[in-house]
Amino acid sequence: MISAIGAVLLGKEHEVRLALACLLARGHLLIEDLPGMGKTTLAEALARSFGLGFKRVSFTSDLLPADLTGLNVFDPGAASFHFQPGPLFSQVLLADEINRASPRTQSALLEAMAAGRVSVDGTSHPLPRPFLVIATQNGLDQGGTSALPESQLDRFLMRLSLGYPPRQAERALLQGEGLRPDGLSSAFGPEDLLELQTRCDQQHCSAALLDYVLDLLDRSRHQPAQGHPLSPRAGLALVAAARAWSLLEGRDHVIPDDVQSVLAAVCEHRMDGGQRGGSDGDLSQRLQAGVDGLR
Amino acid sequence: MSRAAAPLQWLTMGLLAVGLLGLSPALSLSLLAFGLAVLTALKLREARSLEERRVVALLQLVCAGLLAALRPELAPSLLQGLAILMALAGLLALELGAGPDWKALMRRSLQVLLAALPIALVLFLLLPRLMPFSNFGTGQGMGAMTGLSDSMEPGSIARLAVSRQAAARVAFPLGGGPPPLEQRYWRVLVHDRFDGRRWRSSAPPFPRPAAGQPAPPAPPPAAPGEGLQLWLVEPSGLSAVPWSGAGRPLSADLTLQRSGELLNRAPGSQRRVYALTRTADQADWRTEPPGPIDLVLPRGDNPQLEALAASWERLGSDRERLNAAGSWFRSQPFRYTLEPGALPSQAPLDHFLFESRLGFCGHYASAFTTLMRAAGVPARVVSGYRGGQWVQPVGGNGYVDLRQADAHAWSEVWLQGEGWQRVDPTAWAAGDPMARAVTSGDTPGSATPWDWLQQQWWSLDIAWARWWLGYDSEQQQALVRRLLGDQRHLLGLVVLLAVAISLAASLGGLGWLGRRRRGDPLRLELEHTLRAFARHGMAPQAGETLAVFAQRLTQRWPVLSAPLNAYVGHYQRQRFASTPSRTGWRETQRLGRTLRRSLRAGNMPEEAVQRGDR
Repeated sequence: MISAIGAVLLGKEHEVRLALACLLARGHLLIEDLPGMGKTTLAEALARSFGLGFKRVSFTSDLLPADLTGLNVFDPGAASFHFQPGPLFSQVLLADEINRASPRTQSALLEAMAAGRVSVDGTSHPLPRPFLVIATQNGLDQGGTSALPESQLDRFLMRLSLGYPPRQAERALLQGEGLRPDGLSSAFGPEDLLELQTRCDQQHCSAALLDYVLDLLDRSRHQPAQGHPLSPRAGLALVAAARAWSLLEGRDHVIPDDVQSVLAAVCEHRMDGGQRGGSDGDLSQRLQAGVDGLR
Repeated sequence: MSRAAAPLQWLTMGLLAVGLLGLSPALSLSLLAFGLAVLTALKLREARSLEERRVVALLQLVCAGLLAALRPELAPSLLQGLAILMALAGLLALELGAGPDWKALMRRSLQVLLAALPIALVLFLLLPRLMPFSNFGTGQGMGAMTGLSDSMEPGSIARLAVSRQAAARVAFPLGGGPPPLEQRYWRVLVHDRFDGRRWRSSAPPFPRPAAGQPAPPAPPPAAPGEGLQLWLVEPSGLSAVPWSGAGRPLSADLTLQRSGELLNRAPGSQRRVYALTRTADQADWRTEPPGPIDLVLPRGDNPQLEALAASWERLGSDRERLNAAGSWFRSQPFRYTLEPGALPSQAPLDHFLFESRLGFCGHYASAFTTLMRAAGVPARVVSGYRGGQWVQPVGGNGYVDLRQADAHAWSEVWLQGEGWQRVDPTAWAAGDPMARAVTSGDTPGSATPWDWLQQQWWSLDIAWARWWLGYDSEQQQALVRRLLGDQRHLLGLVVLLAVAISLAASLGGLGWLGRRRRGDPLRLELEHTLRAFARHGMAPQAGETLAVFAQRLTQRWPVLSAPLNAYVGHYQRQRFASTPSRTGWRETQRLGRTLRRSLRAGNMPEEAVQRGDR
């Protein structure tokens, strides 16, 4: 499957794998990069490869929360209000250019991501499962953006950056060898994804591995010069992502290499507070170098 | 603060309370210990914050230390050790946070205690010490708990004679087997005052040195080869303690009376431990001439007895009178019994000698001594213990185990030119248990498993008394003399130096233990292998995992690729998989050995590889 998505997204196998791990770990994914780097393509490819219900919302500065969640509409026939679900009620929501929306709308989305349900006028409406938000955002240096606060960045399991493709891959792209995501046929269904997610939870984390993760967290908290300290939620996210990664690697237990593979994606955006000042994985690399990886 | 802290501290309080129960309230220091313990318990009850609980832990340690000074014997010491272990564990639970469980706390506490041992040993061996606190006592105990009594009239020992309660133990640690059974008479009290029915002791109560008077000089230590008798006496309420009648006291606590009583300064309500040389030249109490009191006899009480004695008075010497009395006793049908019945108040000894002829040691000793006095021979009654069972414990020196049932009374007769002679008239009676024992071997003892356990414990107790309690200031000074010779003024320096060295050793040991605890066998195996690679200049970089490091190694030594991959695979499975297997562990070891061997052998030289590359 990785190769299937890889055919869509040329030369980005590691990023595809990370995105998949994020999906398996029931996490939400934030893809950040310059326009035109294939963010939307990746999101779409992910959704389609599991045959998930897919909706796309392009965020704009005048988007309102109700546009996402839906609202109670007066039905003249029944002389009552009934709930008209918004685009949030899908299995995969592609929130394109999330940082273009107003903070109010952003937070409505993030509430839904955290709680798995939407409250409109005092009534809770559960969201479908699996529920996954893939948000893309343009770099903060681009015009017309309002940054996501740290607390909301924390809701995203991973932040990915695609970067420029290698020369070979770009050549292939230009030659038109890549596939369009709508050309992907799905060999898996949503049930397969749910089962894979359950298996993810059963991946064994030994005491030695947890010690490693704890040392990483500890290190981040006692080196204030190296970015924001990692929260317990970050620790949970790290373990969950490492579990998914180990499953993708075909193992039934997690090893420190899995943790290191997902470390940058899981922790960098929590440590730099959303200000990607060209650090580019620098903080998490320093964190990784600060903790003995031989366990 | 761990949740285990409060239960641990209360447990410590309980142990301390049990330790306090054994203190004699006669000592002023015991009151201090009681007060401190109560204070600590109250503080523990109200303590909420970490600081208060720390104070409690320190108070508990002080309390245990005070107890240790007051009760240095083996059983209390074990209890105190346990209390200190718990108090330390409580303190550790306070300081180490919520992490460690009970088992880990105990282990850590034990490690701390072990680390303190070298310092304790140095201080024990070298630091000049105070007088034992127990000597601040009041001389006389709280009244007889068991054992012999100051006054003796026939019948008083009958109560004891059936008791199997422990009385005393004597060991001969410098070798020598059990003393012959006929010689096992352990004297305690000398009764020389007789009022017609009752024998009393005229020895003054323990002579207390007047205030301001210097303490008696410490006796010289035992010369090598002199032998040693080491006594452990259960509480008796008497200041007189048993001894063999020969030997020289080795402690200033002991005073030898002219009558041959050995007095101990420590209160009789406590267990006492003391040592004498095993043998000495004829002890002077044997040659101490008798006083008028040794002939005092109320005349007319026992007419028949006096008449019999008068018939011997015409014999020339005391020795002949003694022999005549002996042969008279043997000619009569005396029988030994523990239940002779009460003697009449009128002429009781006449009744015993000429009518009932039934009695136990007290009757015989009393009647015989009276006879000798009536015949004009100075005589007195001595009470103590006879016989005892020789116990050979597992792995230790043997000792004689004396029970209250071994309590006995016999006579001593003054013979001109020979001194005081022991005469045991009970031995002439039919059915004397001792006579039976002499023919059949040792005193038969019931050998229940409980008795066996108790005997082993006593053997430990004796060893403790010898090596721990027996190490007194004289022995200490002898050690210092041996160590330093004439340079005794350097003692302080030596102590400081030794303390510093042992402190360093302890801290080093603790650190080593800490490292060891982290390093499980698998980890040690990995480090072993990593060191082998480090010798070839390949060390893992910061934060590098084993797999990544192995990749770098493979790049340098492609030959090692297969074993390295297998090693890493096995190691990771052992380390991180849910069910590590025994075979996997062995396989990891085997592969580690293979890797190290090939590194040592150097049979995969990288030059060759590089040449191949080119």
